[in-house]
Amino acid sequence: MDVMVSNVNVPPPRANRVQAWVYAILNPVIESFRRELQLFEKGNVSWRFYSKKCEYIRPVVEYVDGNQLPNYEDFLADGINEGFSASIDAHDSAVSAVETAATTFFDGLMRSTLFLNEVKKAFDEYKLLAHGKPQYPDPDSIERDLPKYIAEYLINRTDLLPSHYTTHKFWEEFRNRFELSAAEFAPYRQRESFQAFKRSVHILKEISQGLLAAFEKHRYGLCSTYDIPAAPIPTVMSHSVDAYVIRNK
Amino acid sequence: MRTSSEISRRHRLLILDTGPIRELVLFHAVSEFRLENLRRSLRFIKDDRSYKSCSEYVASFGQMTTTSASVVVELYHWIRETEPYGRSKLWRRVYEEFRNMGMDEEVVKLLDMDVSFVMRFGPVDGSLLELARRHAGKNPVILTTDSPLYGECKKGGLSVSHIHEITMSERW
Repeated sequence: MDVMVSNVNVPPPRANRVQAWVYAILNPVIESFRRELQLFEKGNVSWRFYSKKCEYIRPVVEYVDGNQLPNYEDFLADGINEGFSASIDAHDSAVSAVETAATTFFDGLMRSTLFLNEVKKAFDEYKLLAHGKPQYPDPDSIERDLPKYIAEYLINRTDLLPSHYTTHKFWEEFRNRFELSAAEFAPYRQRESFQAFKRSVHILKEISQGLLAAFEKHRYGLCSTYDIPAAPIPTVMSHSVDAYVIRNK
Repeated sequence: MRTSSEISRRHRLLILDTGPIRELVLFHAVSEFRLENLRRSLRFIKDDRSYKSCSEYVASFGQMTTTSASVVVELYHWIRETEPYGRSKLWRRVYEEFRNMGMDEEVVKLLDMDVSFVMRFGPVDGSLLELARRHAGKNPVILTTDSPLYGECKKGGLSVSHIHEITMSERW
Protein backbone atom coordinates (compact mmCIF):
# COMPACT_ATOMS: atom_id res chain seq x y z
CA MET A 1 0.00 0.00 0.00
CA ASP A 2 2.80 2.38 0.96
CA VAL A 3 4.49 1.64 -2.33
CA MET A 4 1.34 2.60 -4.28
CA VAL A 5 1.00 5.90 -2.43
CA SER A 6 4.64 6.57 -3.11
CA ASN A 7 4.11 5.93 -6.83
CA VAL A 8 1.33 8.51 -6.94
CA ASN A 9 3.10 11.24 -5.05
CA VAL A 10 6.64 10.99 -6.29
CA PRO A 11 7.30 12.25 -9.80
CA PRO A 12 9.01 9.86 -12.16
CA PRO A 13 12.62 10.81 -12.78
CA ARG A 14 12.97 13.92 -14.97
CA ALA A 15 9.23 14.82 -14.80
CA ASN A 16 9.74 18.41 -13.61
CA ARG A 17 12.58 18.95 -16.03
CA VAL A 18 10.55 17.52 -18.90
CA GLN A 19 7.72 19.88 -18.01
CA ALA A 20 10.15 22.79 -18.19
CA TRP A 21 11.39 21.60 -21.59
CA VAL A 22 7.85 21.35 -22.96
CA TYR A 23 6.64 24.73 -21.72
CA ALA A 24 9.77 26.82 -21.96
CA ILE A 25 11.55 25.26 -24.94
CA LEU A 26 9.40 23.08 -27.17
CA ASN A 27 6.22 25.18 -27.18
CA PRO A 28 7.80 28.51 -28.21
CA VAL A 29 10.16 26.76 -30.63
CA ILE A 30 7.33 24.82 -32.30
CA GLU A 31 5.28 28.01 -32.61
CA SER A 32 8.25 29.81 -34.12
CA PHE A 33 8.88 27.03 -36.64
CA ARG A 34 5.24 27.12 -37.72
CA ARG A 35 5.67 30.86 -38.28
CA GLU A 36 8.85 30.23 -40.28
CA LEU A 37 6.99 27.83 -42.58
CA GLN A 38 4.11 30.26 -43.03
CA LEU A 39 6.62 32.92 -44.09
CA PHE A 40 8.25 30.47 -46.52
CA GLU A 41 4.83 29.80 -48.05
CA LYS A 42 4.58 33.52 -48.88
CA GLY A 43 8.21 33.58 -50.03
CA ASN A 44 8.88 36.12 -47.29
CA VAL A 45 12.12 35.52 -45.42
CA SER A 46 11.66 38.81 -43.49
CA TRP A 47 15.16 39.95 -44.45
CA ARG A 48 15.94 43.58 -43.59
CA PHE A 49 18.54 45.71 -45.34
CA TYR A 50 19.38 47.73 -42.22
CA SER A 51 20.24 44.66 -40.12
CA LYS A 52 21.14 42.22 -42.94
CA LYS A 53 19.19 39.64 -40.96
CA CYS A 54 15.93 37.76 -41.27
CA GLU A 55 13.89 39.46 -38.58
CA TYR A 56 11.46 36.60 -37.88
CA ILE A 57 13.56 33.61 -38.88
CA ARG A 58 16.20 33.31 -36.24
CA PRO A 59 18.62 30.82 -34.69
CA VAL A 60 16.66 28.50 -32.41
CA VAL A 61 18.13 29.88 -29.20
CA GLU A 62 16.49 33.23 -30.00
CA TYR A 63 13.07 31.56 -29.96
CA VAL A 64 13.57 30.82 -26.28
CA ASP A 65 13.12 33.40 -23.55
CA GLY A 66 16.47 34.53 -22.17
CA ASN A 67 15.50 33.52 -18.63
CA GLN A 68 14.97 29.95 -19.84
CA LEU A 69 18.43 29.42 -21.32
CA PRO A 70 19.47 27.08 -18.47
CA ASN A 71 16.48 24.88 -19.37
CA TYR A 72 17.48 25.08 -23.04
CA GLU A 73 21.01 23.95 -22.18
CA ASP A 74 19.59 21.19 -20.00
CA PHE A 75 17.36 20.09 -22.89
CA LEU A 76 20.33 19.84 -25.25
CA ALA A 77 22.49 18.06 -22.67
CA ASP A 78 20.08 15.28 -21.75
CA GLY A 79 20.37 12.04 -23.71
CA ILE A 80 16.59 11.73 -24.05
CA ASN A 81 16.75 14.65 -26.51
CA GLU A 82 19.64 13.25 -28.48
CA GLY A 83 19.96 14.45 -32.06
CA PHE A 84 18.32 17.84 -31.57
CA SER A 85 21.57 19.67 -30.97
CA ALA A 86 22.93 18.67 -34.39
CA SER A 87 19.61 19.44 -36.13
CA ILE A 88 19.43 22.84 -34.47
CA ASP A 89 23.00 23.59 -35.55
CA ALA A 90 22.03 22.65 -39.14
CA HIS A 91 19.02 24.99 -38.96
CA ASP A 92 21.03 27.87 -37.55
CA SER A 93 23.72 27.42 -40.21
CA ALA A 94 21.01 27.44 -42.89
CA VAL A 95 19.57 30.69 -41.46
CA SER A 96 23.01 32.21 -41.62
CA ALA A 97 23.41 30.96 -45.22
CA VAL A 98 20.10 32.60 -46.23
CA GLU A 99 21.15 35.89 -44.64
CA THR A 100 24.51 35.76 -46.37
CA ALA A 101 22.97 34.89 -49.75
CA ALA A 102 20.34 37.63 -49.41
CA THR A 103 23.04 40.13 -48.51
CA THR A 104 25.18 39.08 -51.49
CA PHE A 105 22.21 39.53 -53.83
CA PHE A 106 21.35 42.86 -52.20
CA ASP A 107 24.93 44.13 -52.47
CA GLY A 108 24.98 43.07 -56.13
CA LEU A 109 21.87 45.12 -56.83
CA MET A 110 23.34 48.11 -55.02
CA ARG A 111 26.38 47.87 -57.33
CA SER A 112 24.28 47.44 -60.46
CA THR A 113 24.17 50.70 -62.39
CA LEU A 114 21.24 49.41 -64.39
CA PHE A 115 19.23 48.65 -61.25
CA LEU A 116 20.00 52.04 -59.71
CA ASN A 117 19.04 53.75 -62.97
CA GLU A 118 15.76 51.81 -63.04
CA VAL A 119 15.03 52.98 -59.51
CA LYS A 120 15.84 56.59 -60.42
CA LYS A 121 13.64 56.40 -63.49
CA ALA A 122 10.76 54.98 -61.48
CA PHE A 123 11.24 57.61 -58.78
CA ASP A 124 11.15 60.42 -61.36
CA GLU A 125 7.90 58.99 -62.70
CA TYR A 126 6.58 58.75 -59.17
CA LYS A 127 7.34 62.43 -58.60
CA LEU A 128 5.27 63.31 -61.67
CA LEU A 129 2.45 61.02 -60.55
CA ALA A 130 2.52 62.41 -57.02
CA HIS A 131 2.37 66.02 -58.12
CA GLY A 132 -0.89 67.45 -56.84
CA LYS A 133 -2.21 64.07 -55.78
CA PRO A 134 -2.82 63.86 -52.05
CA GLN A 135 -3.02 60.08 -51.97
CA TYR A 136 0.67 59.84 -52.93
CA PRO A 137 3.11 60.24 -50.03
CA ASP A 138 5.56 63.08 -50.44
CA PRO A 139 8.39 61.89 -52.77
CA ASP A 140 10.93 63.46 -50.42
CA SER A 141 9.82 61.04 -47.71
CA ILE A 142 10.77 57.98 -49.77
CA GLU A 143 13.78 59.07 -51.83
CA ARG A 144 16.37 58.19 -49.20
CA ASP A 145 17.12 54.45 -49.19
CA LEU A 146 14.58 53.75 -51.95
CA PRO A 147 16.91 51.33 -53.87
CA LYS A 148 17.51 49.48 -50.60
CA TYR A 149 13.80 49.18 -49.88
CA ILE A 150 13.09 47.92 -53.40
CA ALA A 151 15.83 45.30 -53.14
CA GLU A 152 14.44 44.24 -49.76
CA TYR A 153 10.93 43.94 -51.20
CA LEU A 154 12.26 41.82 -54.07
CA ILE A 155 14.11 39.54 -51.64
CA ASN A 156 11.00 39.15 -49.47
CA ARG A 157 8.64 38.92 -52.44
CA THR A 158 6.64 41.72 -50.84
CA ASP A 159 3.15 42.07 -52.24
CA LEU A 160 1.14 45.11 -51.17
CA LEU A 161 2.23 47.31 -48.30
CA PRO A 162 -0.15 48.86 -45.74
CA SER A 163 -1.49 52.24 -46.91
CA HIS A 164 0.17 54.19 -44.11
CA TYR A 165 3.68 53.07 -45.08
CA THR A 166 5.61 55.78 -46.90
CA THR A 167 6.54 53.49 -49.81
CA HIS A 168 3.02 52.06 -50.21
CA LYS A 169 2.03 54.00 -53.34
CA PHE A 170 5.42 53.70 -54.98
CA TRP A 171 5.43 49.93 -54.60
CA GLU A 172 1.84 49.65 -55.73
CA GLU A 173 2.71 51.55 -58.94
CA PHE A 174 6.09 50.04 -59.77
CA ARG A 175 6.20 46.58 -58.20
CA ASN A 176 5.32 44.81 -61.42
CA ARG A 177 7.92 46.68 -63.39
CA PHE A 178 10.71 45.59 -61.04
CA GLU A 179 9.48 42.07 -60.74
CA LEU A 180 8.97 41.60 -64.48
CA SER A 181 11.93 43.48 -65.86
CA ALA A 182 14.16 41.79 -63.36
CA ALA A 183 13.11 38.24 -64.27
CA GLU A 184 15.78 36.12 -62.72
CA PHE A 185 17.67 39.40 -62.36
CA ALA A 186 19.84 38.63 -65.35
CA PRO A 187 19.75 42.24 -66.55
CA TYR A 188 21.29 43.31 -63.28
CA ARG A 189 23.92 40.56 -63.52
CA GLN A 190 22.53 39.04 -60.37
CA ARG A 191 21.05 35.87 -61.78
CA GLU A 192 23.59 33.66 -60.03
CA SER A 193 23.37 35.40 -56.68
CA PHE A 194 19.56 35.22 -56.86
CA GLN A 195 19.68 31.52 -57.70
CA ALA A 196 22.05 30.95 -54.77
CA PHE A 197 19.66 32.84 -52.51
CA LYS A 198 16.69 30.75 -53.69
CA ARG A 199 18.66 27.54 -53.10
CA SER A 200 19.59 28.62 -49.58
CA VAL A 201 15.92 29.35 -48.80
CA HIS A 202 14.90 25.96 -50.15
CA ILE A 203 17.47 24.20 -47.97
CA LEU A 204 16.37 26.12 -44.87
CA LYS A 205 12.71 25.39 -45.59
CA GLU A 206 13.41 21.65 -45.81
CA ILE A 207 15.41 21.68 -42.59
CA SER A 208 12.70 23.66 -40.79
CA GLN A 209 9.98 21.30 -42.00
CA GLY A 210 11.91 18.29 -40.75
CA LEU A 211 12.82 19.90 -37.46
CA LEU A 212 9.24 21.03 -36.82
CA ALA A 213 7.96 17.50 -37.36
CA ALA A 214 10.67 16.16 -35.05
CA PHE A 215 9.89 18.70 -32.33
CA GLU A 216 6.14 17.98 -32.54
CA LYS A 217 6.69 14.24 -32.36
CA HIS A 218 9.12 14.62 -29.48
CA ARG A 219 6.72 16.85 -27.53
CA TYR A 220 3.97 14.29 -27.98
CA GLY A 221 6.29 11.53 -26.83
CA LEU A 222 7.41 13.43 -23.73
CA CYS A 223 3.87 14.50 -22.81
CA SER A 224 2.59 10.93 -23.19
CA THR A 225 5.45 9.32 -21.33
CA TYR A 226 5.46 11.74 -18.42
CA ASP A 227 1.72 12.48 -18.44
CA ILE A 228 2.27 16.21 -18.89
CA PRO A 229 -0.30 18.45 -20.60
CA ALA A 230 1.16 20.10 -23.70
CA ALA A 231 0.42 23.51 -22.14
CA PRO A 232 -0.15 24.60 -18.55
CA ILE A 233 -3.81 24.39 -17.56
CA PRO A 234 -5.05 27.19 -15.33
CA THR A 235 -7.08 25.34 -12.74
CA VAL A 236 -7.76 24.92 -9.03
CA MET A 237 -5.01 23.56 -6.83
CA SER A 238 -6.50 20.10 -6.57
CA HIS A 239 -6.23 19.78 -10.34
CA SER A 240 -2.92 21.57 -10.70
CA VAL A 241 -0.76 20.55 -13.63
CA ASP A 242 2.10 20.65 -11.19
CA ALA A 243 0.44 17.97 -9.13
CA TYR A 244 3.67 16.45 -7.97
CA VAL A 245 4.81 19.67 -6.37
CA ILE A 246 1.43 20.37 -4.77
CA ARG A 247 1.01 16.90 -3.33
CA ASN A 248 4.52 16.83 -1.94
CA LYS A 249 4.06 20.11 -0.06
CA MET B 1 -11.90 59.02 -55.51
CA ARG B 2 -10.81 60.95 -52.47
CA THR B 3 -13.11 63.40 -50.76
CA SER B 4 -12.22 67.04 -50.22
CA SER B 5 -11.93 66.38 -46.50
CA GLU B 6 -9.24 63.77 -47.23
CA ILE B 7 -7.38 66.17 -49.46
CA SER B 8 -7.42 68.89 -46.85
CA ARG B 9 -6.37 66.35 -44.23
CA ARG B 10 -3.16 65.75 -46.15
CA HIS B 11 -1.86 69.11 -45.03
CA ARG B 12 -2.64 68.45 -41.40
CA LEU B 13 -0.59 66.77 -38.72
CA LEU B 14 -1.65 63.52 -37.08
CA ILE B 15 -0.55 63.03 -33.47
CA LEU B 16 -0.69 59.40 -32.42
CA ASP B 17 -1.47 58.24 -28.91
CA THR B 18 -0.19 54.88 -27.63
CA GLY B 19 -3.38 52.91 -28.32
CA PRO B 20 -3.53 53.30 -32.12
CA ILE B 21 0.20 52.50 -32.47
CA ARG B 22 -0.27 49.43 -30.31
CA GLU B 23 -3.26 48.29 -32.40
CA LEU B 24 -1.41 48.76 -35.72
CA VAL B 25 1.66 46.95 -34.42
CA LEU B 26 -0.37 44.11 -32.93
CA PHE B 27 -2.58 43.46 -35.94
CA HIS B 28 0.37 43.37 -38.31
CA ALA B 29 2.20 41.00 -35.94
CA VAL B 30 -0.83 38.72 -35.75
CA SER B 31 -1.73 38.72 -39.44
CA GLU B 32 1.72 38.79 -41.06
CA PHE B 33 3.87 37.02 -38.53
CA ARG B 34 1.37 34.67 -36.94
CA LEU B 35 1.92 35.85 -33.38
CA GLU B 36 -1.48 34.39 -32.58
CA ASN B 37 -1.18 34.66 -28.83
CA LEU B 38 -1.34 38.44 -29.27
CA ARG B 39 -4.72 38.38 -31.00
CA ARG B 40 -6.63 38.55 -27.73
CA SER B 41 -4.92 41.87 -26.97
CA LEU B 42 -6.51 43.55 -29.98
CA ARG B 43 -9.35 45.83 -28.92
CA PHE B 44 -10.29 47.86 -32.00
CA ILE B 45 -8.51 46.50 -35.08
CA LYS B 46 -9.76 42.95 -35.22
CA ASP B 47 -9.94 42.17 -38.92
CA ASP B 48 -8.49 43.16 -42.29
CA ARG B 49 -11.28 45.65 -42.94
CA SER B 50 -10.72 47.65 -39.76
CA TYR B 51 -6.93 47.51 -40.26
CA LYS B 52 -7.34 48.83 -43.80
CA SER B 53 -9.61 51.65 -42.59
CA CYS B 54 -7.16 52.71 -39.92
CA SER B 55 -4.18 52.40 -42.27
CA GLU B 56 -5.91 54.54 -44.92
CA TYR B 57 -6.90 57.12 -42.33
CA VAL B 58 -3.30 57.50 -41.16
CA ALA B 59 -2.12 57.56 -44.80
CA SER B 60 -4.56 60.38 -45.60
CA PHE B 61 -2.35 62.70 -43.55
CA GLY B 62 0.40 62.25 -46.13
CA GLN B 63 2.92 60.81 -43.68
CA MET B 64 2.64 63.89 -41.47
CA THR B 65 2.63 61.86 -38.27
CA THR B 66 4.24 62.43 -34.94
CA THR B 67 4.11 61.22 -31.38
CA SER B 68 5.77 62.01 -28.07
CA ALA B 69 8.66 60.25 -26.36
CA SER B 70 6.26 59.62 -23.46
CA VAL B 71 4.19 57.43 -25.79
CA VAL B 72 7.29 55.33 -26.51
CA VAL B 73 7.73 54.85 -22.77
CA GLU B 74 4.10 53.77 -22.55
CA LEU B 75 4.74 51.27 -25.37
CA TYR B 76 7.62 49.97 -23.29
CA HIS B 77 5.32 49.46 -20.29
CA TRP B 78 2.84 47.60 -22.52
CA ILE B 79 5.48 45.30 -24.01
CA ARG B 80 6.91 44.60 -20.57
CA GLU B 81 3.54 43.15 -19.59
CA THR B 82 3.48 40.69 -22.50
CA GLU B 83 4.94 37.19 -22.54
CA PRO B 84 8.72 37.35 -22.25
CA TYR B 85 9.65 35.39 -25.35
CA GLY B 86 7.52 37.61 -27.61
CA ARG B 87 8.90 40.94 -26.41
CA SER B 88 11.83 41.15 -28.82
CA LYS B 89 9.45 40.50 -31.75
CA LEU B 90 7.14 43.25 -30.57
CA TRP B 91 9.97 45.73 -30.25
CA ARG B 92 11.09 44.86 -33.79
CA ARG B 93 7.54 45.48 -34.95
CA VAL B 94 7.40 48.85 -33.18
CA TYR B 95 10.67 49.90 -34.80
CA GLU B 96 9.43 48.77 -38.22
CA GLU B 97 6.13 50.58 -37.78
CA PHE B 98 7.84 53.85 -36.87
CA ARG B 99 10.34 53.45 -39.70
CA ASN B 100 7.80 52.47 -42.35
CA MET B 101 5.29 55.17 -41.55
CA GLY B 102 7.97 57.86 -41.30
CA MET B 103 6.89 58.71 -37.78
CA ASP B 104 8.41 61.72 -36.07
CA GLU B 105 8.95 61.69 -32.32
CA GLU B 106 9.24 64.67 -30.01
CA VAL B 107 10.24 65.25 -26.42
CA VAL B 108 7.84 67.23 -24.25
CA LYS B 109 9.28 68.41 -20.97
CA LEU B 110 7.24 68.07 -17.80
CA LEU B 111 7.58 71.79 -17.14
CA ASP B 112 6.04 72.52 -20.54
CA MET B 113 2.84 70.73 -19.54
CA ASP B 114 -0.06 72.14 -17.64
CA VAL B 115 0.23 70.83 -14.08
CA SER B 116 -3.50 70.53 -13.46
CA PHE B 117 -3.91 68.49 -16.66
CA VAL B 118 -1.00 66.20 -15.74
CA MET B 119 -2.53 65.68 -12.30
CA ARG B 120 -5.83 64.63 -13.88
CA PHE B 121 -4.75 62.73 -16.99
CA GLY B 122 -1.06 61.93 -16.55
CA PRO B 123 2.07 63.02 -18.44
CA VAL B 124 1.43 60.97 -21.61
CA ASP B 125 -1.88 62.66 -22.43
CA GLY B 126 -0.30 65.92 -21.30
CA SER B 127 2.50 65.49 -23.82
CA LEU B 128 0.02 64.91 -26.65
CA LEU B 129 -1.89 68.08 -25.79
CA GLU B 130 1.38 70.01 -25.67
CA LEU B 131 2.27 68.66 -29.14
CA ALA B 132 -1.12 69.84 -30.40
CA ARG B 133 -0.42 73.27 -28.93
CA ARG B 134 3.14 73.30 -30.32
CA HIS B 135 1.91 72.48 -33.85
CA ALA B 136 -1.26 74.56 -33.77
CA GLY B 137 -0.37 76.04 -37.18
CA LYS B 138 -0.57 72.60 -38.81
CA ASN B 139 -4.15 71.95 -37.72
CA PRO B 140 -3.22 68.88 -35.68
CA VAL B 141 -5.54 65.95 -35.05
CA ILE B 142 -5.00 63.58 -32.12
CA LEU B 143 -5.79 59.91 -32.77
CA THR B 144 -6.48 57.99 -29.58
CA THR B 145 -8.19 54.97 -28.04
CA ASP B 146 -8.53 56.79 -24.74
CA SER B 147 -12.06 58.02 -24.08
CA PRO B 148 -11.20 60.51 -21.27
CA LEU B 149 -8.55 62.15 -23.50
CA TYR B 150 -11.01 62.15 -26.40
CA GLY B 151 -13.63 63.87 -24.24
CA GLU B 152 -11.18 66.43 -22.91
CA CYS B 153 -10.00 67.31 -26.43
CA LYS B 154 -13.59 67.71 -27.60
CA LYS B 155 -14.36 69.90 -24.62
CA GLY B 156 -11.34 72.06 -25.36
CA GLY B 157 -12.16 72.39 -29.07
CA LEU B 158 -9.15 70.33 -30.23
CA SER B 159 -9.46 68.08 -33.28
CA VAL B 160 -9.51 64.49 -32.11
CA SER B 161 -10.47 61.10 -33.55
CA HIS B 162 -11.22 57.96 -31.61
CA ILE B 163 -9.97 54.82 -33.37
CA HIS B 164 -13.45 53.40 -32.89
CA GLU B 165 -14.82 56.07 -35.28
CA ILE B 166 -12.24 55.06 -37.88
CA THR B 167 -12.60 51.30 -37.69
CA MET B 168 -16.38 51.30 -37.50
CA SER B 169 -17.02 53.52 -40.50
CA GLU B 170 -16.60 52.73 -44.18
CA ARG B 171 -15.17 56.17 -44.80
CA TRP B 172 -14.14 58.50 -42.01
